[in-house]
Amino acid sequence: MALVLSACGNGDDTADETDANGAENGEQAAGGGTVTVYNCEPQNLMPSNSSEVCGSWVLEQLFTGLTQVDYDTFEAGPGVATSWDSNEDQTVWTFEIGEGWTFHNGEEITAQTFVDTFNWTVDPDNAQQNNDFYDVFVGYDELVEGEAEELEGVSAVDDYTLELELNEPFSPLPMMLSYTGFYPMPQEAFDDPEAFESAPIGNGRYQMDGEWEHDVQIAVERYEDWPGEDPGLPDRIEWQIYNDIETAYLDVQAGALDILDTVPPNRLGTMEDDFGDNQALFETSSFTYMGFPLYQEEFQDVDVRHALSMAIDREEIIDNIFDGAQVPARNIIPPMLPQAREDACEHCEFDPDAAAELYEEAGGPSELTVYFNSGAGHEDWVEAVSNQWQQHLGIEDVTFQSLEFAQYLDLHDEQSVTGPFRLGWVLSYPSPQYAMEPIYTTGQSSNYTAFANDEFDDLIAQANASDPEEADDYYQQAEDILLEEMPVIPMWFQSMGVVHSDRIAHDSVTMDPRTFLRVEQLEVTEED
Amino acid sequence: MTGYIIRRLLQFIPVVIVATLIVYAMVFLMPGDPIRALSGDRPMSEQVQDRLREQYNLNDPFLIQYGKYMWGVFTQGDFGTTFQGRPVLDIIQQGLPVTLTLAAVAFCFQAIIGAIAGILAAVYKDSFIDRFVQVSLVVAVALPTLAIAFLLQLTFGLNLGWFPIAGTRDGMVSYILPGIVLAAVSTGIVARMLRSELIEALQSDYVRTATAKGMKRSRVVTRHGLRNSLIPVVTFLGADLATMMGGAIVVESVFNMPGLGGQVFRSIQAQENTIVVGIVTLMVLFYVVVNLLVDLLYAVLDPRIRYE
Repeated sequence: MALVLSACGNGDDTADETDANGAENGEQAAGGGTVTVYNCEPQNLMPSNSSEVCGSWVLEQLFTGLTQVDYDTFEAGPGVATSWDSNEDQTVWTFEIGEGWTFHNGEEITAQTFVDTFNWTVDPDNAQQNNDFYDVFVGYDELVEGEAEELEGVSAVDDYTLELELNEPFSPLPMMLSYTGFYPMPQEAFDDPEAFESAPIGNGRYQMDGEWEHDVQIAVERYEDWPGEDPGLPDRIEWQIYNDIETAYLDVQAGALDILDTVPPNRLGTMEDDFGDNQALFETSSFTYMGFPLYQEEFQDVDVRHALSMAIDREEIIDNIFDGAQVPARNIIPPMLPQAREDACEHCEFDPDAAAELYEEAGGPSELTVYFNSGAGHEDWVEAVSNQWQQHLGIEDVTFQSLEFAQYLDLHDEQSVTGPFRLGWVLSYPSPQYAMEPIYTTGQSSNYTAFANDEFDDLIAQANASDPEEADDYYQQAEDILLEEMPVIPMWFQSMGVVHSDRIAHDSVTMDPRTFLRVEQLEVTEED
Repeated sequence: MTGYIIRRLLQFIPVVIVATLIVYAMVFLMPGDPIRALSGDRPMSEQVQDRLREQYNLNDPFLIQYGKYMWGVFTQGDFGTTFQGRPVLDIIQQGLPVTLTLAAVAFCFQAIIGAIAGILAAVYKDSFIDRFVQVSLVVAVALPTLAIAFLLQLTFGLNLGWFPIAGTRDGMVSYILPGIVLAAVSTGIVARMLRSELIEALQSDYVRTATAKGMKRSRVVTRHGLRNSLIPVVTFLGADLATMMGGAIVVESVFNMPGLGGQVFRSIQAQENTIVVGIVTLMVLFYVVVNLLVDLLYAVLDPRIRYE
């Protein structure tokens, strides 16, 4: 049995088999047991308010949304919703809600649950951070401006039919609804959000065991009545909260912690020596780019932007500074997505001679100010990039502006950035739409370069209005425009180091592109 | 004596007001918008930002913000909440025991080990023991706290497995390594201070007189020598106990202890005024109380000192 299990890794059937098997003979069990997992202190544990990893991956175990992403096919699969359909132009969507879903406290989940959750999240009085994901729904502006009480476009046709009406065609909707900010929330959450947060009552694979002990731990146990298809394997997951990753790394080495999903950069080089087979690198969608302030005259010439990109030897920097734990970016759409193409980028290849010629002809600036946020480990590589620019393009002087993140964003909002700047982007749901639309379409709030290109905007709109097969083609054309116009220099996609103790079966360790370790799939090989 | 104590207690009021005002001003003056930074690379909608700013009085001018905060503290005992709505009092209640325990353990280490080492070195001046104590203390003082922490974690936590590497899950055992790290520098200072004071005292006339009267050596050292050497050491220990709160920031982070030190560090980064002010005020209060206790202790050590 154990052989079969380790051979087939992580599929749905594995889960079912282990579940049955684990219950009977608890000792030699793949599945079952308790895993202790590294975590950082979450900002909050409120689905509608959680926008960072530390909280979101806990919430993903506590809640199940309308849809769930299948990370083998990168498609939206059933969650609470069993099926869905849209009208011809992707503006009106109907979701059939599965029967028999309840919250962990027994409260039944119907279409109305989602209507209430969505309305509450968007209501500006509740100041929920995920509010702006809802701007696709008809009536969003009215509710946010205080002119309406409810989202006009969100309605329960009957107990098990949810109808969603959108402002614009949006084919990635089922994918987007898998995101944390759309999980259903019970009545208690609205009555007293602060009390709710200390022990969230969800509808997910796991339920809270006790309260969230701030800065110490969050413990959950498997919810046996979960009606979904692939229940979690461990009986219990304990997230141990650390404020220093170094310490967590030592704790995994000592066996006091089972798994750490973000090996600190200075340990990437030694993790193989320290852990042997109990370590791995996982490629993610976490994208680092150097943006151009296109509102500054020096950067309006596309040749200048190309030259700056071609003068960067990404591989060298990745080897020397990151111990190989980045994938050089040849694209904007993260490489693990099915829509991604290898080498889509003509101007991402290191070519110092061509770059120098191009830069000189275009009359690129001889002095640069480079911007990054401080205290996040960007100093070394930004300096390396700047050195390469100086060396290959004859730039005489580079000054660095390193600012605290809050201050850094202020500067962007004021459009007072005067040179290339570092920023990043992680996919909250694995759609090429999310890799591009929020950052590069005209007037979007994350569009820090002030890139404005009608053709690009049209292609994204067309893709959003098409069914999936055609959409991919439009997304790729849109990506081509980005790689040609180059509002940002694609730098690399981060790989995360994961190390674990002997208690965890190595084959069961996986991480998805959002940088979420799939904790519910971890198999415990030995009980202590 | 009572009058003296009351006067000292009354002095707390301006100290607390000035300290909170300064701390509040410093956090307030930090550039950048804390609300904007909450959601990282991803932007937050304008309406949500506005609502949060309103909720936390961030649109008000500095003095009004400060006034509203202090008003809440004194009229309702409301120390404010974090940007996530968690009451600051909760955070303090959770973190304070951890930090106090850590400080107490460290204090015991430095007082006991420091005193023993200092006395031995003084009594057996210029012997091997003296040299050994001096050298090891120089090493303890010179090594950076972080290096000591990693060294102990690697040796006693990872390789020997005698102590937990981090966390507070194992009860008091968890406090031993961090306690030693927190105490390391001060232990060296205490021992060296006590050594030189004691050597001086042992050469004084009253010690020679006591020895001449035929008093036992141990009694001479403890009753006559030590008691007269303790005043500067107690002053130092008192001041050090208070500043330990600062050292706790590093130690709590490295050993992953959910105390106030780590908390204040994170809160400053996130510009969470209310927590920073709450915790720092607590630290200030602690400092003045400890100082008062030290002053009162002088009278016990040296009956010639009187308070009026």
